Amino acid sequence: MNLLRSPEDARDVYQEAFLRVYKNLESFRFDCSFQTWLYRIVTNICLDQLRKRKVRKEESAVMETGDGPLDRMDAFEEEAPQADPERSMWNVELKARIDGALRDLTPRERMVFELRHYQGLRLRDIGETLGTTEEAAKNCLFRATRKMRSVLGDFV
Amino acid sequence: MNCDWVEKRIPLYFYGELPPAEEESVEAHLHGCAACAREMERQRRMAAALDGRRAEPSPQLLEECRADLLAAIASRPQQRTPKGRWTLFLEAMAATLAAFHRLRQPVGALALVALGFFAARFTGMNPGAAPAPDQTASSEVYSTVRSIQPDDAGGVRIAYDETRRREVSGRMDDQGIQRLLLTAVTGDNPAVRVESVGLLKERAGSSEVRDALLNALLHDSNAGVRMKALEGLKPLTGDPEVRKSLAGALESDDVPAVRMQAVDLLVTHRDDAMVGVLQDVVQREDNDYVRLKCEQALKDWNASVGTF
Repeated sequence: MNLLRSPEDARDVYQEAFLRVYKNLESFRFDCSFQTWLYRIVTNICLDQLRKRKVRKEESAVMETGDGPLDRMDAFEEEAPQADPERSMWNVELKARIDGALRDLTPRERMVFELRHYQGLRLRDIGETLGTTEEAAKNCLFRATRKMRSVLGDFV
Repeated sequence: MNCDWVEKRIPLYFYGELPPAEEESVEAHLHGCAACAREMERQRRMAAALDGRRAEPSPQLLEECRADLLAAIASRPQQRTPKGRWTLFLEAMAATLAAFHRLRQPVGALALVALGFFAARFTGMNPGAAPAPDQTASSEVYSTVRSIQPDDAGGVRIAYDETRRREVSGRMDDQGIQRLLLTAVTGDNPAVRVESVGLLKERAGSSEVRDALLNALLHDSNAGVRMKALEGLKPLTGDPEVRKSLAGALESDDVPAVRMQAVDLLVTHRDDAMVGVLQDVVQREDNDYVRLKCEQALKDWNASVGTF
């Protein structure tokens, strides 16, 4: 959900992942932990989804409304009304910058960042999950962080 | 070691991913270099800002995901599967996801759905549906032999029933189609029952369909069908008859996912007649979600949680 930022996509991935687990269960040979295997399936489906978006040049996290484009996640958030309009404007801009920064990452960078920052996985495990080395995951995380720092600029 | 070297390592230092020796070097440098310390502070602020954009799935979304999955599994055409498959699945899930208590019961529910599905699949054939006017005949014919009587002349007399498969197509508002779907709701094949309930739930406004959904909820042996019926009953929770059936499912359904869905629907309408049911469920329910939901509803309705 956090990665795809679209409840519809998250719902599809949930179902696809569990059905794929069930279908491929016989191919699980205990050569890695079941959690790693599960993560591998989910990350593959999510990566496909992110790549499709890049190809379509669509951002399904953003939907069109009568008041202009709106992040789908904002429709689910209940925030306390801001007493300070300037602060509120700042927060809106910061959110937009963050979402833009996340969208600018490649699917792989986005995935590595999601797994490290939001899911708390170690880079060694991320490498195993994505079928790559810890070093490659490390480079990916570094690139992702640099890109976001440059997009967020003075906001942080 | 200079500022450039440290700056490149700040993200990995922040995530605790540097080798111990490099971590110590970075730490020592940060104590003595104001510029790099500011970079580190920016990294922290960026991480905090990103934490603020964390999106958590709502309980409703999780509910919908679980319901979709149950229905998809129940309606999925399957080959005969070795017995050990689900056991393997559950063992692996249990071992790995031991910390995720909330997943245990849905996983158990999936297993039950699957078991119900396979059991039902192996116990009979679909007798076929009643003919409708705009049907087209196919060549498939199924026979069931009723009796065999050999005679003295070396001959044999055989009595059999013949079932011919036919196909019919039409829109959902067609009465003939609806009749066939209502027949399918009580058929032997759980996959067909899931499909038919799934289609009929869009027309729950008709009393015939409503009754079929209530019947499926309380009596269908397949949890996927019961979940679909619950979906169809969502807009009808204001109906006392529907709430009575929801209470029945809440009290007696053996699949936690069904009880979770039932309680969600039941508590949407304040109904003093349900207070006793909820109190009873609070006393004996072992599913945390269901119990807490009942307790919350009782509090919201200003009713006591326990019975005295």
